[in-house]
Amino acid sequence: MDILLIVVNVVVFLGLAPLFEGIIRKLYAKVQSRKGPPIVQPYYDLIKLLGKERLTPGNVAFKLAPMMAFASIVTVIMLVPLGFKVNILTQYADIITVIYVLTLGGVSVLLGALSSRNTYAMVGASREMITMIMVEPVLAMTLIMGALKAKGLAVSTSFFSVGDTGYGWGVALMLVVFLMALQAFVGRQPFDISEAEIEIIEGPFIEYSGPYLALFKYFMMIKQMFYAFLFVTVFMPFLQTGYYLANIGTQLGGILAVVVLISLVGSTNPRLRIEQAVRYYAVLILLSLTAVGLTVYGI
Amino acid sequence: MNSNLYGSLLLSMGILVLSAVIVPFFSEKRKLAGWLNFAFTAVAGFILLNISYSVIFERSLNTELWTIAGFLPVYLLLDSFAGFFLAIIAVMSIMSAFYSIDYMEHYHDYSLKSYYVNYPIFIAGMVAIITVDDLTTGFTVAWQMMTIASYFLVKFEYKKPENVKSANKYLVLMEIAWLLILVGAFVAGSGLGDSIHAVTRSLGASTGVIPFIVYALIFLGFGFKAAIFPFGQMWLPDAHSIAPSPISALLSGVMIKTGVYGIIRTFFWMIPHNETFHFSGSLWGAIIAVFGVVTLFIGTVQSMKQSNSKRLLAFSSIGQVGYIIFGIGAAVFMFNSNSHYLKLLALIAIIGAVYHVLNHAVFKGLLFLTSGSVLFATDSKDLNKLGGLIKYMPVTAIIAGIASLSISGVPPFSGFASKWTLISTSLLAGNEVFFLVIFGIIALFTSAITLSCYVKFFGMTFTSAGTEWTVDKQVKEVGAGMLLPKFILAALCIVQGVIPFFYFNTIIAVFQNSGGSMLSAAFRNMEIDKYVFNTAMGVTVEVPGLSSAASMAVPVVVLVIFAIALCVALLLTRSGGNTERQAETWLCGYQTLNNRNRYMDSSMFAALKAMFGWTGGNVKK
Repeated sequence: MDILLIVVNVVVFLGLAPLFEGIIRKLYAKVQSRKGPPIVQPYYDLIKLLGKERLTPGNVAFKLAPMMAFASIVTVIMLVPLGFKVNILTQYADIITVIYVLTLGGVSVLLGALSSRNTYAMVGASREMITMIMVEPVLAMTLIMGALKAKGLAVSTSFFSVGDTGYGWGVALMLVVFLMALQAFVGRQPFDISEAEIEIIEGPFIEYSGPYLALFKYFMMIKQMFYAFLFVTVFMPFLQTGYYLANIGTQLGGILAVVVLISLVGSTNPRLRIEQAVRYYAVLILLSLTAVGLTVYGI
Repeated sequence: MNSNLYGSLLLSMGILVLSAVIVPFFSEKRKLAGWLNFAFTAVAGFILLNISYSVIFERSLNTELWTIAGFLPVYLLLDSFAGFFLAIIAVMSIMSAFYSIDYMEHYHDYSLKSYYVNYPIFIAGMVAIITVDDLTTGFTVAWQMMTIASYFLVKFEYKKPENVKSANKYLVLMEIAWLLILVGAFVAGSGLGDSIHAVTRSLGASTGVIPFIVYALIFLGFGFKAAIFPFGQMWLPDAHSIAPSPISALLSGVMIKTGVYGIIRTFFWMIPHNETFHFSGSLWGAIIAVFGVVTLFIGTVQSMKQSNSKRLLAFSSIGQVGYIIFGIGAAVFMFNSNSHYLKLLALIAIIGAVYHVLNHAVFKGLLFLTSGSVLFATDSKDLNKLGGLIKYMPVTAIIAGIASLSISGVPPFSGFASKWTLISTSLLAGNEVFFLVIFGIIALFTSAITLSCYVKFFGMTFTSAGTEWTVDKQVKEVGAGMLLPKFILAALCIVQGVIPFFYFNTIIAVFQNSGGSMLSAAFRNMEIDKYVFNTAMGVTVEVPGLSSAASMAVPVVVLVIFAIALCVALLLTRSGGNTERQAETWLCGYQTLNNRNRYMDSSMFAALKAMFGWTGGNVKK
């Protein structure tokens, strides 16, 4: 039974992440008056890529990076409370662990980019690192706010804090800030600065092809679903129904709503330059600090 | 038994001094001198390790008066807290001595005479400063041994005028630090050679602003040594980056920790407790914590801007010491509060600070040895020129990767365990002490910047491209003599990260066994082991007043899940039955990659560097 919950986590995230990606692509297309690929296209992409030749520049780091990225996000999703239910792994990690493991995923992207020796990839890596530094605090403070509300750093304590202790102005502010940072978390317009297809040609991923690119793409899809899941779990505790399977259903419904939001914002906004984005992130950091402050003083 | 241990301590220092006398005669035969120096250091080091094992796990000793060299009476103290630092000095100096054997070949146009005179004296000086129990005579002898020997070591490449200038600056500032501490001791009413205990007693009788002045002077003095902002920036980056790499490893890994040692001793041991004396612990805790947070932030941001690999590491040492100082400040603050749960957190915070001392010694030593190997192989420490070394130096590259992940705090490596301890305690204290939450968040934010430093350090040295155009000589992996110490330190990085509970327990034993302070009394009386649990060799903290299982770090579990997921990923890449092929870098078909169109280190993080321009330490283009 204990193992089963973990398996459900893995199956739901790995199984549905490409579907949400497909929905985003379809919505992008609709907004831009295109027909768009079928919703299941990301599955086809992954399968096709996995069968292709593995091209490398001849160093270990290049091959290791996509696997590390994938492994780091899988590590995180295994221990999150899907269906508002903790599993046996949840007790072994607190939010600081989760934050650092998520960081490892970002680092892997950078490692891959740097080891590909490509100039465009390094431009992308530099931007990706800046984005990580400036956006990670918002994620951290969302979780820390929960930890302060419920007085404990455990994953379950922090994730369920709003449900356990109720909303407040601090939570409301953090909710808004999280939504404002969402596009940056998942690397979508207007913050797809590090990939910027038409400018630096997919940045960090330019040299990647075949199975390694498949792993990176899969990593990005799961990460996107994870951030949507995080938002739903922390800020929408009212989706709890009391039944595990129904909870998963409502959570997935919530994730779908977030995904629709991501596509609508993404498809209608042009990309910012990195220094504009940095100023924007700085404001987000200050706002989330305010939210943490409000929470500490019980407002 | 007691006298035996003090006897062995003096014996080990005697061996080091003997080494300084004998080995220089063989300095013409460079390898032989290296081996001799290593042999003497290793013997002294093993004696020290033996002492530290005894005082930590068997019996911590009290102060004893010893007459050194027949005329100098000095109080010595071998308690378990000193033993902990002795162990760090012993391990790092053995590693560094072994590394020196091959590495010093790099400086073929310099005589090794002064190197092998000063190396053992420097080690002996550090051992002495940890073990002397006064702030006047013995302290002066120890401080001067350490400072003057390290001055000559820093000045090793004396033919470059800028090195001499930096070394002189280092010497002057360390003498100022010495004066500050000495004056502090005299203001406190210390006579020549009085033990710390006596100084504390006379401090207890003082009134008015005297205690404040004493603590301020001593904090500043040790702060200079520990390289807190703004004092660290004055000397550390220059001194640490020009010294030979094994010495940089010792300076950053060990020597600046003597400052940390002094600060901990001052603010936990040198506190008089009687009716008339009131120690304003909250004030001092807050001051130290503020210094710590400013240091960790500024040091790390400045580190990110550097293009010289050793300067990057040196600035990052300032940043990492900031974490330690922050931990001490938070501990002092919470320890002097009235709340039971804050006091418990104070104990955990000081564990974290001491744990980070250990971890930082290992990974920063390792990083300096790594950059030394790169310097040895390529004659360059300029990140703008380096790049692509993973192909030629794969072992060094992997070791550098482990060290980089450790210092960035990625689980399951060592930096994670100690940073987790520091950050989690400050966040848990947050409901009562808001400023600690802010500081914790800054520390967390800064560890992302630390990561960027080391992405740069690793990325621009070992991956990316550059060496094939900028370095003339044939680059090849360094020999076993330089790899072995790095192997051992890299293994330590992993061990110290994977089983944090063992280190928690050891540090708790260190504090419980060492006498003479409120802190060790609290460690004994508050039954800390009822609040800190072993979870698969990881740590779970449960503190009354917080939710059950307030925080936990279990690197083993993370490691296992991660390893399984990594295997799945590997299977996925092989699932299509595909083949592998090497291919050229693709720059859109117009050009091949060359020295003109590669990405330089100076361009990395430009937007971030611009935003943090106000923190100083900028590199001119």
